[in-house]
Amino acid sequence: MSNELRFDGKVVIVTGAGQGLGRAHALLFASRGAKVLVNDLGGTHTGEGRSSAAADRVVEEIRAAGGTAVANYDSVEDGARIVQAALDAFGRIDVVVNNAGILRDVSYAKMTDADWDLVYRVHVRGAHAVTHAAWPHLREQKYGRIVFTSSAAGIYGNFGQVNYAMAKLGLVGMMHALAIEGRKNNVLVNAIAPIAGSRMTETVLPRELVEALRPEYVSALVAWLCHESCEETGGLFEVGGGFFAKLRWNRTEGVTWRIGRTITPEMVRDQWKRIVDFSKSTFPSSVAESMAPILRNVEAGPSRGGNQYIDVDEALGWEAPPVRSSYDERDVALYALGVGAGADATDPRELGLVYEMHGGGFHPLPTMTAAIAVQQIMKAAMEGRQAPGLRFGLDRILHGEQYTEVLFPLPPRATLEHRAKIKAIWDKGKGAVVVNEVRSYDEQGELVAINEVSTFVRGAGGWGGERGPAGESADPPERAPDAVVREATSPDQALLYRLSGDVNPLHVDPGFARAFGFERPILHGLCTFGFAGRHLIRAFCGGDPRLLRSIRVRFAEPVYPGETLVTEMWKVEPLKIVFRTRVQERDKVVLANGIATLHPEVPQRKKRPAPAAAAAAAEPTSADVFGGIARFMARERDVATRAQTVYLFRLSQPDSEWTIDTREGRVRPGAPERAECTLELTDADFMAMVTGKADPMKLFSSGRLRISGNVMASQKLDFLRKVDPNDVLEAMRERTGGAGAPAAGTAGTIGAAPQAVTSEVVFRAIGAWFAKNPELARKAGVVYLFKLSNPDSAWTLDTKEGVVRPGMPDRPECTLELSDADFLAMVQGQADPMKLFTSGRLRISGNVMASQKLEFLTKLDRNEVAAAMGAPASSAPSAAAASAGASAQAAARQPVAPRLFEALEQRLRAQPALGAEVGATVRFVVGEQSWTVDFPAGRVERGGSAAAATVIGISDEALEEIARGKLGLQQAFQRGRMRVDGDVAPARRLGVLVGLL
Amino acid sequence: MGRRVNVIGVGMVKFQKPGASDSYDVMAREAARAALADAGVEYRDVQQAYAGYVYGESTCGQRALYELGMTGIPIVNVNNNCATGSTALWLGRQAIEGGMADCVLVVGFEQMEKGALGTKWNDRPNPVERHVGIMNEQQGFNEAPPTAQMFGGAGREYRWKYGTRRETFAKVASKAREHASRNPYALFRERLSVEEVLASPEIFDPLTRYQCCPPTCGAAAVVLASDEVVRRRGIKSPVYIAGQAMTTDPGSSFGDSMIKMVGYDMAAAAARQVYEQTGLGPRDVQVVELHDCFTSNEILTYEALGLCGEGEAEKLVWDGDNTFGGRWVTNPSGGLLSKGHPLGATGVAQCVELVWQLRGQAEGRQVEGARVALQHNLGLGGACVVTMYRRD
Repeated sequence: MSNELRFDGKVVIVTGAGQGLGRAHALLFASRGAKVLVNDLGGTHTGEGRSSAAADRVVEEIRAAGGTAVANYDSVEDGARIVQAALDAFGRIDVVVNNAGILRDVSYAKMTDADWDLVYRVHVRGAHAVTHAAWPHLREQKYGRIVFTSSAAGIYGNFGQVNYAMAKLGLVGMMHALAIEGRKNNVLVNAIAPIAGSRMTETVLPRELVEALRPEYVSALVAWLCHESCEETGGLFEVGGGFFAKLRWNRTEGVTWRIGRTITPEMVRDQWKRIVDFSKSTFPSSVAESMAPILRNVEAGPSRGGNQYIDVDEALGWEAPPVRSSYDERDVALYALGVGAGADATDPRELGLVYEMHGGGFHPLPTMTAAIAVQQIMKAAMEGRQAPGLRFGLDRILHGEQYTEVLFPLPPRATLEHRAKIKAIWDKGKGAVVVNEVRSYDEQGELVAINEVSTFVRGAGGWGGERGPAGESADPPERAPDAVVREATSPDQALLYRLSGDVNPLHVDPGFARAFGFERPILHGLCTFGFAGRHLIRAFCGGDPRLLRSIRVRFAEPVYPGETLVTEMWKVEPLKIVFRTRVQERDKVVLANGIATLHPEVPQRKKRPAPAAAAAAAEPTSADVFGGIARFMARERDVATRAQTVYLFRLSQPDSEWTIDTREGRVRPGAPERAECTLELTDADFMAMVTGKADPMKLFSSGRLRISGNVMASQKLDFLRKVDPNDVLEAMRERTGGAGAPAAGTAGTIGAAPQAVTSEVVFRAIGAWFAKNPELARKAGVVYLFKLSNPDSAWTLDTKEGVVRPGMPDRPECTLELSDADFLAMVQGQADPMKLFTSGRLRISGNVMASQKLEFLTKLDRNEVAAAMGAPASSAPSAAAASAGASAQAAARQPVAPRLFEALEQRLRAQPALGAEVGATVRFVVGEQSWTVDFPAGRVERGGSAAAATVIGISDEALEEIARGKLGLQQAFQRGRMRVDGDVAPARRLGVLVGLL
Repeated sequence: MGRRVNVIGVGMVKFQKPGASDSYDVMAREAARAALADAGVEYRDVQQAYAGYVYGESTCGQRALYELGMTGIPIVNVNNNCATGSTALWLGRQAIEGGMADCVLVVGFEQMEKGALGTKWNDRPNPVERHVGIMNEQQGFNEAPPTAQMFGGAGREYRWKYGTRRETFAKVASKAREHASRNPYALFRERLSVEEVLASPEIFDPLTRYQCCPPTCGAAAVVLASDEVVRRRGIKSPVYIAGQAMTTDPGSSFGDSMIKMVGYDMAAAAARQVYEQTGLGPRDVQVVELHDCFTSNEILTYEALGLCGEGEAEKLVWDGDNTFGGRWVTNPSGGLLSKGHPLGATGVAQCVELVWQLRGQAEGRQVEGARVALQHNLGLGGACVVTMYRRD
């Protein structure tokens, strides 16, 4: 074979080569052309006696096979003589295999000093003596391979081998350090932990196993590690019986306490699980990597303190995984009723808060977001999704302050995504304050509301931390209030309010309230808060809740349902109001430090992003930043060249490459010939980084910034922070030819005149557009039929003829059915056609693929539509009214799952055979609730923790359709309306659900 | 049967992500060069060439092969969706078997764009309209990549029929990665556990990201020759094509089954023809390269090729009969899932892998005792080519 690994001309020393492993190594090396020094003292395996016979026999064997070898009988303790013998015989040394060893197995109690010393001397001192004598020769010729022979006994420990284990792991340490010293001179060092039948193992292993563990199996690895084409160094390998593998260190993620904390044995005990948990672990392979967590901790700065209740380092800044919640018109009205709206059902100002069809508009109260936010926090806490480092029970906390800000008017129904984080933690002495911030985003990703919930935690302070800032001044001016609203709460106020989500029995159960020291159930603080919000809206917003921007209060005293609230308000600035709310009966301030701010007008949602070209002209790009860096480096040469490194920045989206050469002090586009340090990240992240909006460390640790090559050199890039922004702007001006001024957005939107848009207008606009752009229209080449409902109409879009007309075509090729309102939303870009389609609100039949060609609709000139709107045609029924009616109907839908599973339990009880047929335990996850059904036992459990072979995820609606026989089981699965985890088979047998409703 | 057709030379380039590869002409040329060198023949010895690719202007084959020589031979460009490579192979085999040529070069290549497969020509009828129509009837149509919806939907139908666990599909992806970790030509060589596969983003239930083959750039080439060439050049014991069949959609593809719509019957028919031609069956095969564009299709294909009975694929997977140590090794190369799927190159690269396997040159992924190999390459639209290779 031509690719045989050869050792021609190489000189190999194998110690202890008279028998077993050493002999096998020597024979293999010699057979591959090496000249071998066969060393063996000729003693017994316990290190007694000596003779030349063993080494001589091996040398004879090698010579008989045509190889070259000489024998040596020195002890490895005389390593220099062994090396000299090799030099004398062959004139050089290339490979040292430290194999010689002895055993002095004895239990530790009986071990003598001589047992310890002899094992140490032969294994450790002996390997050192031979290696040390050979080392200068290997270094000088810049070539060498060394193998140490370790053992599983050393790595894992073994009874009766304390001395041997010590010596064998000692060799591993020696190997690691020598590998580092030898690397630059091409002296590569490895260790093996072999298991092979030899004189030493005959004493401990059964004979058959010894047979299977032939030394030859080990020698193949030794030969490869010693070959010049092998570049492995610093490795430890387990080998034997046909098995070959590499070992490395594995370290748990562990626990880090910030510097400056008092670390007690109790803390170590309490975190023991995490300290020994390997589920997140690393494989450190150098002292630098070993130190990395410590250096990171030092870099992170001193601890911010804490105690057994609160660990500020862990908790502060923690961000909860985003969660979603939905509300609809019914929730909005119920909340408003809960905070006293509509008490006078003839007051037109209040009807818009509780009546979804109200002519003047139906708008949620901004304070409702506070109730939603607190509900999310409580829900997370109950489910154990709490910030790490907060270890106090709910019994210790009081809602101390509330801040609510609503940036855009809340729609009558919405799904919001909430992102919560621990924004601040203050040490107030006896107690502590934890500020939870919840930011809520709508489905377009727009930030809609911010809530800050300040919780006072009794008895959890006193770690000597910061007290926190004094709040914004909310002292009322020394004059009579500018407005006063007086309103009685009703005796059943709390019973009504709790239906909006806060079901704490403190507000409803007299016994529970007494146990907490109240004479009767108290009103929810956030209910009083909602009253105050309404009072502000009534006094300063003309009753329009969309104008209240923010509201902040401190909860001072509880309110009893039925008491009268008096809110006194002072307008201290055009858009700022200071207020307080008192209970009239007891003359106590219940909401203190009240501050509210207003929107000057109803805020509009932001327009769609400006066209890219306009944005490009207005803002610096990464190219400008590099231009700025170039200018800076030209000016500040000595700062710039301090790093002495060639960096490559590889940006993506859009892709570009830039070289910053701090040796030459230059910046240029493209990659350098040899980059010393490469940084890869997106263009957007790069811009965020250089403008200080993104922390490079965070980008790096989250994997968004990748650094390769000389990673340390990336730390020298901090001079980039000194780059003058004016340099960047200058580079931009140069690029854009002087046009530095932002381009004004000019795109008109249909939304500007929402009242007048009807589907008829849109189709007429499409017709007009077809007439102007016949080419583009004909590209689709399909006859579409739009069947709209609520109100009903039919429209033909014939892209072959380029005409649009009311009515049905003779032969539609692709039919789209949807509601008039959804159609309008779609053409205005407010509804995604795909989403409409997947949710079943848009039905497509005929040539489905043709529907994808309708993208030209999004290219409609908005002005065209606007012009068509200017000439309104026959009046169509108001689409808006129809859609409101439809949504009100949808809002009335009650979940059927609870009823259905109750019915299921009855059915299974009455007819156990039905359950036996399903024959499995199935968990149904319906929205946020679940039911576990043990069909054979006929048991239905809400929630439930029993192991289920099958887990079914399904919406309440789909479940209802199945139960009513409108949706087949397979159809539901195939269409993705029913997900099945685990075994699918039981899902096929769920016919028992049909007819339950 | 006509004359015996031998595969005397194979070559390919390492598959790359879109944007990271050379352009198609360079890749195709390098693969062809490697195949010619492996065969020990010169480009001037080639009498005909078949060039397979899907995306690109016309005559890309000439653009690539002109770099090797201007010999004026016929060069045929072949386009048959994902079955393009094996269709080119099929044409080359036919030319030699029928006595029209003695030495043929087959090259497949693809320079793909990032992202899932989409359509390029929206001003004319789409060739898979009928397939999509079936899908729309069965399960609707959504924003997921259309091919994932098709094969994912077939996966759903399979799960429904046989109760198959999600993990079984994931296990196929994990196996593909394990195999690819041994193949230096593969795109994704990092191993993935079943858990990691399941945790990747869902594309279309039951398919997660790691259960979908990636857009890939690459090229592969083979040299086919008659016995006469083999004798003249003294080639010892070459790999030869023992049987080969190509099928297109039967009527049953357009019924009410997603499994059939994605080509199950087409594949089963092609396999049956090959078993009839050769007199050999699945039990005689040791190594298989099959069209695992999605994990679901690998599962379906076990049954279409007769490796197991209908509904038995889950057992086959958990018994490990698709990997080293089992009854067969399917996709030792890592398959489309991990080696990558450059459409036009795939069918040729499968052949390259199997030739290496039969010659015992597959190094770290060598299937012990491989004597008979089976190839399955499928394209929607549709076409399926099944080929059996042997080495005596």
